[in-house]
Amino acid sequence: MIAIQATNLSKAYGFYRIFEDLSFDILAGECFALFGPNGAGKTTLLRILATLQQPSGGHFSIFGQNGVKEKELVRQSLMVIAHGSHLYEELTGFENLQFALALRGQTIDVKSLKHALDRVGIGAFADLKVRQYSAGMKKRLALAKVVIVKPKLLLLDEPYNALDEAGVTMTNLIIRQTLESEGAVLMTTHDHDKASQVATGGGILQSGKLQLITREQLT
Amino acid sequence: MPFLKTIQWVVWKDLVCELRSRETISSMLFFALIVILVFSFSFSMDQDAARQLIAGIIWVAFAFTGIIGLGKSFSSELQNDCLEALQVSPIPKGAVYLGKVLANFLFILSVEILLFPLFILFFNLDVVAELGLLLLVFFLATLGLSSVGTLFSALTVQIRAREVMLPVLLLPLAVPVMIAAVEATRGILNGDPYSFYSQWIQLLVVFDIIFTVVSFWLFELILDS
Amino acid sequence: MNRFIRYIQRYKGWFGGAAAICLLVGLYTGLLVSPPDYYQGEVVRIMYVHVPLAHTSLLAYSILFGGSIWFLWKRDPLVDNMCQAASSITALFTGLALVTGSIWAKPTWNTWWTWDPRLVSFAVLLLILAGYMMLRRLVDDPDKQGIYAAVLAIVGGVDLPIIKFSVEWWRTLHQPMSISTRGISISDDLLLPLTFMSLGCWLLFAYMLMVRTQMLYLIELLQAKKGRLLSQTHFSQSAQ
Repeated sequence: MIAIQATNLSKAYGFYRIFEDLSFDILAGECFALFGPNGAGKTTLLRILATLQQPSGGHFSIFGQNGVKEKELVRQSLMVIAHGSHLYEELTGFENLQFALALRGQTIDVKSLKHALDRVGIGAFADLKVRQYSAGMKKRLALAKVVIVKPKLLLLDEPYNALDEAGVTMTNLIIRQTLESEGAVLMTTHDHDKASQVATGGGILQSGKLQLITREQLT
Repeated sequence: MPFLKTIQWVVWKDLVCELRSRETISSMLFFALIVILVFSFSFSMDQDAARQLIAGIIWVAFAFTGIIGLGKSFSSELQNDCLEALQVSPIPKGAVYLGKVLANFLFILSVEILLFPLFILFFNLDVVAELGLLLLVFFLATLGLSSVGTLFSALTVQIRAREVMLPVLLLPLAVPVMIAAVEATRGILNGDPYSFYSQWIQLLVVFDIIFTVVSFWLFELILDS
Repeated sequence: MNRFIRYIQRYKGWFGGAAAICLLVGLYTGLLVSPPDYYQGEVVRIMYVHVPLAHTSLLAYSILFGGSIWFLWKRDPLVDNMCQAASSITALFTGLALVTGSIWAKPTWNTWWTWDPRLVSFAVLLLILAGYMMLRRLVDDPDKQGIYAAVLAIVGGVDLPIIKFSVEWWRTLHQPMSISTRGISISDDLLLPLTFMSLGCWLLFAYMLMVRTQMLYLIELLQAKKGRLLSQTHFSQSAQ
């Protein structure tokens, strides 16, 4: 099953073109690592696939649903963890989790929420305001959402930033679990070593073009 | 009803955040107090003059205080890119709009109700007989301000010079609300019969309905385009 | 090039020429042929400029309003160019209508400014248009610029009649509008120049709108070409 199918995607900001005519497929069960120099448009591509921005040209589909015309359906199946943690500083970790799930139209019982927080290693801080969290803890809280929602498509923007060893291991574990349940993952990263532990393929976005690389070339 | 549930959650989130930080309401209250003080310095009024001017003073203070609250409503979503989370969630955006309108409405109305006794006190007014009607005017005018204001708060938060642009865009559009609120308030404070100012209350109702509906439809374009 | 831009290129001259003829005929009959007013004397002639300008600014705003709805529906960038063009031209006509109204008010009502409902509504309209033009400059994302501007134009368009009514009620409440009818009965002598001037102003607006839309479209086309060139050099440099 094809998770992401992009056809001739291009993006320009006004008259400045970032990339042009990107076409690629990502299958379910694949983890695609997107490399490239700063300013190449990795984050922009990820934001387009996350339906946060419109492509200037071309189209893409997520599990067979049109990413531009059927946004609401596409959003049901994907989850994005970007630079901003999407957390409210005044709410506790637990409340943030509750609200994030409510925004997805889900209400989950307290026990499984607590369980998810325990799994990402911040169960002890569940009732602490996010204001007092460190950057790494915020990342872990975002991962707790993934544990509960189990999205079919997971989009990660620089997932290894600000994470300690244990955090990286946990991130990769959660990525593997997504892949095992026939989901797909796309991440942007600069960290070959950490990404190559889970990635099944990848690409280098440079000069407006995407150059695909195989699993063997990754390691 | 997932739609009503979402509205409820958005209101809950704004209320809890506000109750813990007290940022918005305290800054609104403080600002309004200063406005009242400045007005009482600028016009040294006897009771008759106060009767003539008080309705205008009240609504100038309320409008600017309201704009502070409305601006905060979405600029608080910028921290940690929470606005992005609202955009990418699969829920209908209209629910987010109604939740935000409701939260803003509650904030502004509670500040107004806290402030009104101070106006009575500082400007030596008689206590109003028709308190219920006055509350109705506050209610309707605040709803009108919040319905358009929430739309433009979401708009201006995504552009440059947002603190300036919210009042610049909102106040001309809010002219009917301001006129109607001032006239109705003046009528009630003067003790005029209801028929003297009933048209203003009707105008407020019409404005509220039209602009809640229009903003409800346009909000999705602002948040998600 | 876009089909509509070709139409504009071909026909805009006719609009410009027709506008010039109508305005010339209107000014000639208005300033020289028509008799002075019984009450206002020669001063009444400013009406031949003021009333058409005021009509045209309302017509122009309705075009901006309709264009904004059309843009949100079809997302045609050319319609967005037209809205942007319409906004600044509408602001020009509204500003001129206010100024001529003010000049007319001085000899007739003996004041430059009065809280007449029409004057107030036009002032608010001018404020909305100023906000619209500021907003356009302040949006960073060019994709969002047109959408945000259209939202403002639509809300403003819905609000405008309500503003007019509220100001009218407000004035009648505080001071009966004794002078608002301006004591002029429209006779045939006045009707002829007024018709020509109105027609002339509408055609002038159409002509200006065409020229400005074409200009904005061409600017964007040029920038897109420049951008393609820039990114080509950028792409080839960084590939080396």
